[in-house]
Amino acid sequence: MRKIGLFLGCNIPLRRPDIEYSMRYVLNKLGVEIVELDGATCCPAFGIMPSIDLVGWCAGSAWNMAIAEEKEVDIITGCGSCYGSLNEARYHMEKHPEIKEEVNKILGKVGKKYEGVVKVWNFYNYIYEEIGIEELKKKIKYSLNDIVCGTQVGCHNLWPSKAYTSNDDNVFKPTRMREICEAVGGKAPWYSTILDCCGMGALGSLAKEKSWALWRRKVSKMIEEINPELFVTGCSSCLLRYDNDQAQMKKGGLIDFEIPAVHIAQLLALVMGAEPEKAVGLAEVPIDGIITKIKGGK
Amino acid sequence: METGRETNVIKLDEEFFKEFEKELQEAGMSIKDLRSCIQCGKCAGTCPMALAGLEFFIKKIVHAATLGLREIFLDDSSVWGCQSCNRCVEICPMEIKPYELIQAIRRVSFREYAMPSNTIDGLQNYYKLGHAVVVKGYENRRKKVGLPELPPTALGNEEMRKKFQEMLKNTVLAEVAPFPLD
Repeated sequence: MRKIGLFLGCNIPLRRPDIEYSMRYVLNKLGVEIVELDGATCCPAFGIMPSIDLVGWCAGSAWNMAIAEEKEVDIITGCGSCYGSLNEARYHMEKHPEIKEEVNKILGKVGKKYEGVVKVWNFYNYIYEEIGIEELKKKIKYSLNDIVCGTQVGCHNLWPSKAYTSNDDNVFKPTRMREICEAVGGKAPWYSTILDCCGMGALGSLAKEKSWALWRRKVSKMIEEINPELFVTGCSSCLLRYDNDQAQMKKGGLIDFEIPAVHIAQLLALVMGAEPEKAVGLAEVPIDGIITKIKGGK
Repeated sequence: METGRETNVIKLDEEFFKEFEKELQEAGMSIKDLRSCIQCGKCAGTCPMALAGLEFFIKKIVHAATLGLREIFLDDSSVWGCQSCNRCVEICPMEIKPYELIQAIRRVSFREYAMPSNTIDGLQNYYKLGHAVVVKGYENRRKKVGLPELPPTALGNEEMRKKFQEMLKNTVLAEVAPFPLD
């Protein structure tokens, strides 16, 4: 039986645990045993330790990766920032053994050690490579019934490609997320602003209005070109922007549309038959129409 | 090097210039890489900060750093708006890894207390709870979707949380944290 260490991060367990529920549901349905990474922490996020000290960042990430190594599992995460921070730290330590040595001195003080053997997956690459599209199709209870999905892969899921051991073949023309949406019965066309950043994160904290405008610019093009019925994100931070922030923008009269949004794990949980109250129970943009359309299928 | 004649250019303060380069190098930016920048602007063409309309986006940040303009970064908060997206790293034809400069500038600025308050809050949460982002009401949200009120992370594991804090006391946080580590 396959095993994987579920790395939660911050936003997934504490702000959108419906994504955590969905990740657990999907992995369980796919026959993957979830190993809890007891005592894992924030990745650490780019705005904290990485912005203070390189060795401190690597020590923080190595703490998390060492927990997985002790349990002899690789890591899966649904958050782009966690995926980026852990993988970049892993890459820095691999390229600079002196950093790894310093990190192990720090970890050694509390009886921990980082070997550097753990692989850090993001959710959709794990599904795509380890499970495979054909195997995934066998586990689907409902079809998306041609729902048009506007996909948002997430910056950290693609770049810096040197730090990642799994990725799309062309990181400026990603297809994996779209292939997964289509494998479960959706339509996921390319659109011209597909690579643009959602603006969530540091930019949102420093300049909220500008970052919201960045998202609106991206999404208005997307609507014009493919008219999506559902946004699907590969990253939990992107979901906060596409769902929670979208709801705020609608309330504030800044947008005239209302398009539900899910994380790719939530999308798969829904088509595999998860209870919507749990899989998307914290969605702020109304999503009932999508649930009805999914359940009206096969 | 002997040039043989005086040229009419603005002379940069060499000591000041070298001092900033040294700081950046120690903070993790390769000065060899920084000096290779040809200001082609490919990074600016992909930078979300530029698209969002921030005054200082990646190309200008690299330019200012090559000119040794340290004070600019202490006055202007743009480096803290970087999304860490790494588009610039991916696309740079000189492979200077511009994002590493952003991080190095942040590290220098942090030591001058030129950082946004959410960095301090996030760091404090990280140390105390194991999570940088802790939004109130998480117990109810978790319960609502059928999960235990506490996640299996350091937040819900006191023994590991204490050990994690001990570990952090051995990092640079012991010297630079803007709050007591106890």
